[in-house]
This record gives sequence, C-alpha cells and structure tokens, in this order.
Amino acid sequence: MSLLRSRSNKFIFFLVLLTGCGGGGSDPEPVVDPLDRVPMLTNWVDNIIIPSYDNFNAKLEAMNTRGDAFMATPTLTTLTDFRSAWIEAYAEWQRVELFEFGPGDRNTIRNFFNIYPADEAGISQNFSDPNANLALPVAYSRQGFPALDYLINGLAATDEEILSLYTSDTDAPKRLAYLKRLTDRMKSILSTVISEWKGSYRNTFISQTGLDIGSSTSNVVNSYVLNYERFIRSGKIGIPSGAMTSSGGVKHPEKVEAYYKRDLSLTLAKAAHQASIDFFNGKYASSATEGPSLKSYLNALDAKDAASGTALAQIINGQFTTVNSKFALLGENLYDQVTNNNQPMIDTYNELQKAVRMLKVDMTSAMSITITYTDNDGD
Amino acid sequence: MKEYFARYTSAAPLAVMRIVLGGLLFVGVIRFWANGWIKELYILPKFHFTFYGFEFVRPLSEGTYVLFAVCGCAALMVALGLYYRMAIIVLFLSFTYIELIDKSTYLNHYYFISMICLMMIFLPAHGYFSIDAYRNRRLQYNLIPSWTIDVLRLFVAMVYVYAGLAKFNSDWLLHAQPLRIWLPSRNDMFLIGPLFSKLWVAYAFSWIGFLYDLTVPLWLFYRPTRWWAFGAVLVFHLMTALLFPIGMFPYVMIGTSLIFFPASAHENILTWMKQLLTRLIPSADSTPSTDKSYVPSFGVQRLAFSFFLIFFTFQIATPWRYLLYPDELFWTEEGYRFSWRVMLMEKAGFAEFTVRDSTGYYEIINNDDYLTPLQQKMMSAQPDMVLQYAHFLRDHYRAMGMSCPEVFVDSYVALNGRLGRPMIDPRINLANVEESFAHKSWVLPLNDEIRGL
Repeated sequence: MSLLRSRSNKFIFFLVLLTGCGGGGSDPEPVVDPLDRVPMLTNWVDNIIIPSYDNFNAKLEAMNTRGDAFMATPTLTTLTDFRSAWIEAYAEWQRVELFEFGPGDRNTIRNFFNIYPADEAGISQNFSDPNANLALPVAYSRQGFPALDYLINGLAATDEEILSLYTSDTDAPKRLAYLKRLTDRMKSILSTVISEWKGSYRNTFISQTGLDIGSSTSNVVNSYVLNYERFIRSGKIGIPSGAMTSSGGVKHPEKVEAYYKRDLSLTLAKAAHQASIDFFNGKYASSATEGPSLKSYLNALDAKDAASGTALAQIINGQFTTVNSKFALLGENLYDQVTNNNQPMIDTYNELQKAVRMLKVDMTSAMSITITYTDNDGD
Repeated sequence: MKEYFARYTSAAPLAVMRIVLGGLLFVGVIRFWANGWIKELYILPKFHFTFYGFEFVRPLSEGTYVLFAVCGCAALMVALGLYYRMAIIVLFLSFTYIELIDKSTYLNHYYFISMICLMMIFLPAHGYFSIDAYRNRRLQYNLIPSWTIDVLRLFVAMVYVYAGLAKFNSDWLLHAQPLRIWLPSRNDMFLIGPLFSKLWVAYAFSWIGFLYDLTVPLWLFYRPTRWWAFGAVLVFHLMTALLFPIGMFPYVMIGTSLIFFPASAHENILTWMKQLLTRLIPSADSTPSTDKSYVPSFGVQRLAFSFFLIFFTFQIATPWRYLLYPDELFWTEEGYRFSWRVMLMEKAGFAEFTVRDSTGYYEIINNDDYLTPLQQKMMSAQPDMVLQYAHFLRDHYRAMGMSCPEVFVDSYVALNGRLGRPMIDPRINLANVEESFAHKSWVLPLNDEIRGL
C-alpha cells in the first residue's frame, strides 16, 4: 500500500519537475509542505507565545496596580482587591510557564516566578535586608507568586492580623518594601522577556528551522515536555501526593502550589494542563482558531498506532482528556484532597505519567527530536 | 594456496593505509579534545556503563587527557611510520581502552577502527615511505606478500556486506524505517531539503543504501567498475555526513575503501606526497633503488597466520550470535553490538526508576542526578544498560545506609515508528537480577515481528 503511494508520489514529483522545466505558461499552485516548520514556528510565536505573554503582562500590571494601592493604604478592601488580582495573574502565569525557551530560558523566568513551596524563613530574613540578592538559587523560593502568596495570604491566621502586620507592626514598612520589591521585580523580568521576544529574537526563532539540538523546534519540544513532566506531573500532583517519594505512606500536602490559598491549587493545575493541551493543538492565545502545531506536524508525519490506525496526535489528545477527567474528580483544595482522600491524586498522577511517556517518547521519536534537558529545578 | 601466500606486491597500499589511519585518528583525537568531549563523556559522568567482562576498564579522571594524548601521539607516529610496531600497539590499546570506558559512546565505526588497528599490528606497513625505513635502510622494502593487503580488503568487504545484510529486514525495506523518520527532520536543507519530506525518497534511500552496502565491495574489486564504485562511495558517505551527526565515520570509510585500488594508484598517491615532501625537506627521498621484499621470519609468519585465522573466524561468526537468542533483536538488543548494524533503529525510551526499602520508604529517581543526557538516552532504550544502572542505584543506596534496596523501573520504548510500550517488566526487582550472556527473560516482548535477518 505504502509502496504504491510512494510510486505515485514519485510520478507526481517528475511531473512537477517537467512542468517546472517546461516553464512559464501557467502559474503553479504554491505547494505547501505540511512538514515545513516555518509556519508552525510562526504560529507559535505570533499567535501563541507573544499574545500569551501580553495577556499575562496585562494581568500582572493589574496585580501590581492593586498591589500599589494596598501598599499605599493597607485596608481590608485593598487587600481583597490585591488578592483577587494576584489570583488572576497567577492563573494567567500558568499559560506562559511552559515557554521556558529563548528569552524565557535566558532570563530563567520560572525560577523567579514560581518556585514553591515558599521559603518562609528566607522571606522573613529578607525583610530586614533590602539588598538581599534575589538572583541566587537560594532566593528562588523567596519571590514570585509563592512568596506573594505567603505575604498576602499566609503571614497570619486572620485577615485582621495580616493587616496589622502591614500597619501597626514595627516591621510593617519593611514588609511593604519587600512586597514592592517583589512586584517590581516580576514586572521588570517579564518586560525583559517580552521585549526580547518582540525584538530580534522573533525572527531568530523562526529562522532556526532545524530539529537538531539547539534549534527552535527542539528547544520548544524539550521545554514543553520538561514542563509537563516536572512542573505539572511532579510539582503539582506527584510530589504533594507522595507518588514521587514517601516514607511509610507519608504524604506532602504542604508542598501544594498556592499553599496559603489552598482552594486555588486545583485551578492552577488545570490552567497549566489546559495550556499544554492548547499549545499541542496550536490554539491561538486569544481565540479558538488552531494553527500549525505539534498536532498537525505529527499528523503530517503520519505518526500512528500501526495496529489500530489511530493517529498519535489523537491518542495524545485522548490521554489529555483522560487526565482532565481525573482532574474533574479532585476537590478545589488539593491540600485537603491529599490529606483526606489521596487516591484520586494518585490516579491523576498515573494518567499524567502515561501522557508524559507519550510526549517524551512517542512524540519526540516520531519527530526525530532528542530530549536533552538536564536541569532539575523544582524536583 | 601455497602459491597465493608466496605472491608479492607493492608495499604502497599498506603505506597509504597506515598514513590514512594514523592521520584520521590523529585528527579525530584533536577534534574530540577540542569539542570538550573528553571532559563531557569521560570525566564528568559519575557512573560509566562498562562492557560485560571489561569492568576493570575505568576512566582515569584527569589522567584521561593523558590517555588521549598518548592515543593522539601514537596515531601521529603510525602515520609517520615512526617506531611503527610500538606505536600501532599503543594506538590499538589506548583507542580500545577509551572505547571500552562507556557503552553509551559505542559506535560501530570506533569498533571498526579498533579492529583495523589490531590487524595493522600484524601487517608490515612500515618498511615503505616511513621514518623507520628512512632512518634504518635495512628495514626498507617495497614488496610485501599480497595477503597482507587482501586481509584488509576482506575485512572492509565483510563489514560492508554485514551492514547490507543487517538492512535486509521488513522495517528497513518495506516500511522505510527509520529513514522516513530521520529524513523529514532535514527538510530545511538548502535546495534538496524539500525532497526529504517525500516518502518515496525515504524508500529510495533505504533500497539504495541496502544495495550499496551489500554490493559495493564487489564493484570496488572489479576493475571496470572501480572508479564508478569509488564515486558512489564518495557520494554515499558525503551524503550521510551531510544528513546525520556521525562525525568521522564517512571519512574513515572513504579512506579505507582506497585499499581496493591497485598498487599503481597508491604509488601515485605516494609519489604526489613525496613531491610535496621533497619540496619541504630536499633530502627526504629514500626509495630503495632496487626491489627488496619483506621476508618475515617463520615465527612471525606463523603468528600472523594464527592471528588472522582466529580473527576472521570471530568476525564472521559474531554478527550471527543473535540467532542464539529468542525474541526480537532490535528490541532486546541481545547480540546487537559488534555486528555492523548501523543506523537501523529510531529507538527512544523513558525509564523511571523507583528505589524501595523494607520499611515502606520509596523514591522515584531523577536520572539527571547520576547520568548525562547521552547516557540517559542510551540507557533508557537498551535493556543491559537499564540493568547496569539499576545495580548502580542499588549499590549507591546501600552505601548510603539503606538495607536491601529494591529497584524497579517504569520503562516505555518506541522503536521505528511503533507506538511505545513497556520494555522491562515493572514487577521485577532488578537489584536481584544478575547480568550474563543468557537471555533476559525480564525484557517484555515487542509483540510485533520484524521479518528478515
């Protein structure tokens, strides 16, 4: 069957050559090679990456505005506003965290935005040291969304007590200054990343069309799979549930994302997972339109299960759906979920694991991409 | 027979072979060093995948640089024909030692080079166009027994034929695997790139590659087709150099295929080199004025004959050893190495290890803590390396104080476009499994048949 097809392809190729040589008369239809990676890279950068960063930037700016209002007059109202803006920005962050390549990688933005659990002692220590170096690895968990979580949700048991730490307490000015430092820092790092993407890197990204180590597609796929394996599967589900490591059944609910706003943890996990699904399918950041993507590329390669004839992309999307169905069985508060009924967490982990295998082995092997990632932050 | 062994021919082909081999290896060592690979592959890794039976071969930490320096010097001395016998023995030993340090760097062409070096120890390659002969006139000869060139031809031909036979399987010929996966990845190449997106090109390359490997020694032997065949050698290997990251291999194969040319061609090469040389050093010309034959002592001759008898028996038999194992060769890789199976598989794997103890503690291992990306890539798709790594983890955790660590693996491997499937039985405690040449029953079946050899 495939031999026959190849022969007819060959025939067509000779026809194309002949008409090409015969020259001139008719305008040849521009033949689009579905395996051409330029349209895919262009779709990624123009319709997904840059617009997603813009969306996130808007949410982060909104958060910083509310933050500034809170810092100017710390009241229950301004605190509540700040918190809800923080929630929106944190959720939107999940849609860009997977872009840890190019400018994202150069600025190691994840390290400064979302390494958790937050280092409470380190943060307290930094209150009294306004010049603490936040670029060091030890400072990763003293900044970004997890540190803000601690500062606005976790400093004390009640809202009144938290407020008093920003008003009447002797250290209040230091805390406010640290809040300011963190929000400014996030804004400045994100601005750098976005301006690099919008600058010359956009064209560089599209021009590196290879699949060898260091090429754009290889970087994207490596970063994508790494994010799915380490930061969704392990970070959000595997580690808190004790699926990654455990001593005599001990679990680690204290390691959930958004630990001080626990009913947000599932929302964040789902947002990150949906971002991975959307990226796989090439969905635009701001509409339902799908452009050239990992899915369309795998389909163009005719990657499929030989036995059933099902396309690999369809199998992967099917596994994503299965994972979503497991997410649907979890409570909003993953801390409680782990503590009270961990089995659904383990079930979710197992389905995420199957998706990891498909992405890391089936997808990369079909695409002829080598997995090269070695960093182990977040584990 | 006796007549054949008494036949003499020009010493030029062996001299050219010596220069090509030494020269390429010298460049290869420099390239390896300059790329920082000595550190990356042999010094930084915490653990090395030794070959079964060669566990005593260890990297020498910083001394590995000395090892490479020795290897490079020996290569240069072989090329120059300076203290040849000693140099070629040192070259063989140092090069082979390096290749035995870590399985994850195994390449068929390194093995090929090792074997050529081994053969060259027993061949009279230094009495002609060498510093040894220049310094010691008694050593000079310009005629050598024909068989000393024919053994090299036989070996190179054998490698090609085995590489061709290895392609005689349904994945390669009927499904164009793995070329249909690899070629589209190069479809952004200038001018010819778009062709690589076409399926028929993968089929054409598969069949041409198969027929080329299987028959090119024949065309090289046969005078009327020799130049055409050499042209094909050039095109084929330069093409693979362009398409795949295979380093020095294409140049090694181009260089060694010169051995099929008659003595006159080699004389021409040497004359050209000689002219170049006498322009630099006017007194360098040291060709013997009269014909002189290399006459080995009876003992030396008997040693060489015995060696080649054993060598070829081993070489001809080794690639067939896979027949002794049940299950699919590409999947279990039992009998896969040292058999000239080149570029036959797109195989990628995922291997996640869990270490447990008796108290209920368990931990999923982050392979990055112990292995380089290359080692991980190789290990996760090769059962014997999975076992070696599992034993390393067992010993590591035992040394850290865990009593009776158990090691399990969640493995998932995709082979030549097939969907991935578990390769190792996840229920088996690998800490208790012993490595041996026996069949690995803990490797799960592929559940698919790759027909052919």
